[in-house]
Amino acid sequence: MRDIVFMSLLVVIILALTYLTYSGGLGDLPPQDIRVIARNYLNLTYNQEISWLWAASPEAVTAIVWDYRGLDTLFETVVFYGAILAALTLFRSISKIPEFVSSAGLSLIVKRVTAIVTLAILTVAASTALHGHLTPGGGFQGGAIASVAPLLLLVVFGKQFFIERKITYSKLLSLRNISLVLLGLNSVALVILGFLIGVGGFVFQNQAKAVSVLSYPSYLLDVPLGGSLFFFNLFEFLAVASGFTLVFTILLSRDDTLRKELEGEELGY
Amino acid sequence: MDIELIKFMFMLTVISLYFNVAISLYGVVAKANLVKKLIALTIFQDTVNMFTILVGYKLWRPGLILQPPVLTDLSPTSETIKEFVERSVDPLPQAFVLTAIVIGLAVTLFLTTIVLHVSYHFKTVNVDEISKSKRVYIHEEAV
Repeated sequence: MRDIVFMSLLVVIILALTYLTYSGGLGDLPPQDIRVIARNYLNLTYNQEISWLWAASPEAVTAIVWDYRGLDTLFETVVFYGAILAALTLFRSISKIPEFVSSAGLSLIVKRVTAIVTLAILTVAASTALHGHLTPGGGFQGGAIASVAPLLLLVVFGKQFFIERKITYSKLLSLRNISLVLLGLNSVALVILGFLIGVGGFVFQNQAKAVSVLSYPSYLLDVPLGGSLFFFNLFEFLAVASGFTLVFTILLSRDDTLRKELEGEELGY
Repeated sequence: MDIELIKFMFMLTVISLYFNVAISLYGVVAKANLVKKLIALTIFQDTVNMFTILVGYKLWRPGLILQPPVLTDLSPTSETIKEFVERSVDPLPQAFVLTAIVIGLAVTLFLTTIVLHVSYHFKTVNVDEISKSKRVYIHEEAV
């Protein structure tokens, strides 16, 4: 009975939304043209003639993410940081247990193929992240792609592979924290520089503005660098990749290790 | 292609997304299994992301070549930029969605660890059984 009521409610919601959309609730569908704000962003992102408002990046999406709406993205990064941190906190004592597993991994054929594919994945990830200001992509996407590589390695070669190469939990955690600190510093770098040399600067300032002469470099040799965008992408790439790798390492621990951690003390939680 | 057909297909896509939202909400609320709830939640996430991308869509007209919001000319003149603004799709929804996807992934990982905890602790992922076993436990304590 409860199911029937619930389902009929959903049907009513769908019908109501459909009616509203059909009678023009979302405006003219499909949109004839993009919004004015989007036109402004597209016009300004790499317009050297209006260089006091440009982001020095031909890629409008990255310019919006890390320059025009950079503060939003910083807080989104904080949410990302918190979610990973919460997941790690639930398994905090596993990280201190040294795991002595001698897993042979999968067969030789799978191992060789994975070795080749891993290189390709890491190359694509680095290219996506470091060219984020020139081509579609950026730190978030690059990091998400790169985190597939350790996941594959964990499954195919076993956890022993990471332990032998001294890629430990604490190292990954340090890498993540350092890159997030650098990301934060990058956003206030020009304020600090301006404070030191006695010129005004802004939080999340990328290129020189009409009221502030401070600027990140716009070009590296003759290629657009996008100023701070390149560094934001780089640090975000490291933070996302190491954060996901940490959670994957924990989730792929041995079953009895996980069980021991989860059962808790005698009195439970 | 006919403009009317494009409009019809667009409306059909929007309505099918509404269906997707409804079905995934049904999964989140009505299914007792926590893993099924989690799967429904990811479907909901993806549907909303898809909807956001769809907002940045631009109607194709004969003679108009659409392109992603990336300027390919690295030393643009004002004409090139004008043409770029005319041809490009809306970059703003894409910027929102790209962060939403990664944060969605992080939140999904967090929820997965919680479900793992619950499954080890209660030996089940069914919320009805979990609440029942909790009630028995509290009753035993009271007695």
